[in-house]
Amino acid sequence: MNRRKFLKQIGLASAGIVGAPYILPAGRLFAKTGARKVNHVVFCLYAGGVRNLESVHKTEGNLMRHTFSGNENISPDIIGGMELLPSPTGVPLQNFGTLFKEFRYAQGPTGHFNGHTTAITGVYTNTELNIRERPSSPTVFEYYRKHNSPSQSALNSWWISDSLGAYTALNYSKDLTYGPSYGANFIQPLSLLNFNSNNFTFQGHTALGNPKEFNVNEKNSINKIRSQMDGFFGGKYNGLDAGVVNNVQDAERLNAFIKDILSQANTGAYANPYGISASMNGDLYNMYFAEKVVQEFKPELMVVNMQSIDIGHSNHTSYCNNIRKADYALSRLWNTIQNTPGMANDTVLIVAPEIGRNLNTNTLMDSFGRYATDHTGDATSREIFCLVMGPSGVIKQNQVISSVTGESIDIIPTICDLLGYYSEIPMMYKARMGRILNEAYV
Amino acid sequence: MYLIKKNILVLFLLLTIIGCKKKDPDYVYEVNTEQVTKTGTNKTNLKTNLEFISICYSDLFGTTITNDKLIILSTAYESFGDKKLMGDIIIRNFLNTPGAQIPSKQFMTNDLNGFITNSYKKFYNRTPSEMELWSLKNIINTDTSITPEQLYYSFLTSNEYRFY
Repeated sequence: MNRRKFLKQIGLASAGIVGAPYILPAGRLFAKTGARKVNHVVFCLYAGGVRNLESVHKTEGNLMRHTFSGNENISPDIIGGMELLPSPTGVPLQNFGTLFKEFRYAQGPTGHFNGHTTAITGVYTNTELNIRERPSSPTVFEYYRKHNSPSQSALNSWWISDSLGAYTALNYSKDLTYGPSYGANFIQPLSLLNFNSNNFTFQGHTALGNPKEFNVNEKNSINKIRSQMDGFFGGKYNGLDAGVVNNVQDAERLNAFIKDILSQANTGAYANPYGISASMNGDLYNMYFAEKVVQEFKPELMVVNMQSIDIGHSNHTSYCNNIRKADYALSRLWNTIQNTPGMANDTVLIVAPEIGRNLNTNTLMDSFGRYATDHTGDATSREIFCLVMGPSGVIKQNQVISSVTGESIDIIPTICDLLGYYSEIPMMYKARMGRILNEAYV
Repeated sequence: MYLIKKNILVLFLLLTIIGCKKKDPDYVYEVNTEQVTKTGTNKTNLKTNLEFISICYSDLFGTTITNDKLIILSTAYESFGDKKLMGDIIIRNFLNTPGAQIPSKQFMTNDLNGFITNSYKKFYNRTPSEMELWSLKNIINTDTSITPEQLYYSFLTSNEYRFY
């Protein structure tokens, strides 16, 4: 063996020894830290303000039969307000993980946007939170895209919201060291489809469903012209103005995805996509499209919310009914994850309300004689639950923690830890977050 | 001998006269100080979502967008995080909508200078610089497959079009 050949073989062998531990059977590289516990995390904000009284404490019976164990009957005086939903076919979701029954949203105003911002940044907010601005602390998406190794495109991280307004700003922060370059793709499906809840029609296709398609040669010509125009122009449309940026290939996939859901809406496929007796509400629709994102993109990090439960401000019985619908939607999401190759048995699903609701009712009574509840910062409005589900080798199965354990700000560090880049986050950011929910780990 | 001396003296005087030349002035050649800027740099204001959609519609259809349509499109624009992509989808839908006023290719090639200049006025609200005019003409003359629709689409999806 000559010297050159010897050195080459030594080099290849060394590279193999160093690199092999980081390569998964699928060929994907682990983070440099090698600390990934799973390759996908989905965080579901069971939002709109859910009291522990109606969820884990079951004072109206078990409204979340797909999620929580128990056959407690629903209160007879409101049963007439409950729509028919499919019964659970398997074991309740809590069997697949650890339930923190007494989780806390311990600080900050008990508003929906405050709760969402805290949940997505891992940092408590205060009364100075500006709903017209992006969060000042980086979001979980930015930590993921900046610190995960190897870095991933925006196609791997999604924020799927049931609302526009301030919620559109939660896919990245205004922190200058993070920002849109590390943001997630954001979608509010029903607005994109221009859903009319009065007649259950979708008008989005009319306005957006027939785009001009250019072939490759045409695109090349266009790029040549536009490059020249942009080259002469001094300014640039990007950064905070243009939102999250997808590369050309990813934008093509997103374009096809949008075109497909618009087309499906036009065929009437979304009139009752779950084929259930109960009427589709915003939560069911939002989860339906979250399932589509799971199936199409298999994101490594996805956050999805549901907020129809907030009808609790004016109608307690509908609030209970919507808790049930969200419960069914959650079970659909879990089943879709487990039936999606690449995500099945390699995903942790974390579920938590953003805030609770007050102990005392307001003065609005529904047709079943029940009074509604607001969320104005009493102790009960800070009481929430958290369910962490995942593979049995990673997450403790069927574990219930009934003592006061865990806070809203603990979810983001836990996600960062599950995906293996928590140690890469600078201390000045980690110091503001909560802790890792080690109690849920095997 | 005398003659030689005389000639030497004449030669000396001649050389002295010729050699005494008025000194040239110190010329300094300068150009006026000019601030060199890229075109369109005075456009620093980003169009709002509503402005972008409604101006784009007006530029293509020659009429004002209806309020209903504007609401649908601006809501859709808000509902997706990648604004460049959503803007692109909206524009491509406009291009495929009956009523979009896109000139024929013959109209473009008949007077390319005029077509490019008018396109700049239409979309950028200014005339092109000589360099811009030459460059765009060069691209179009080199690639004869380019259509007015592609040119319009390039304008509408360019960085400058987002600003005023």
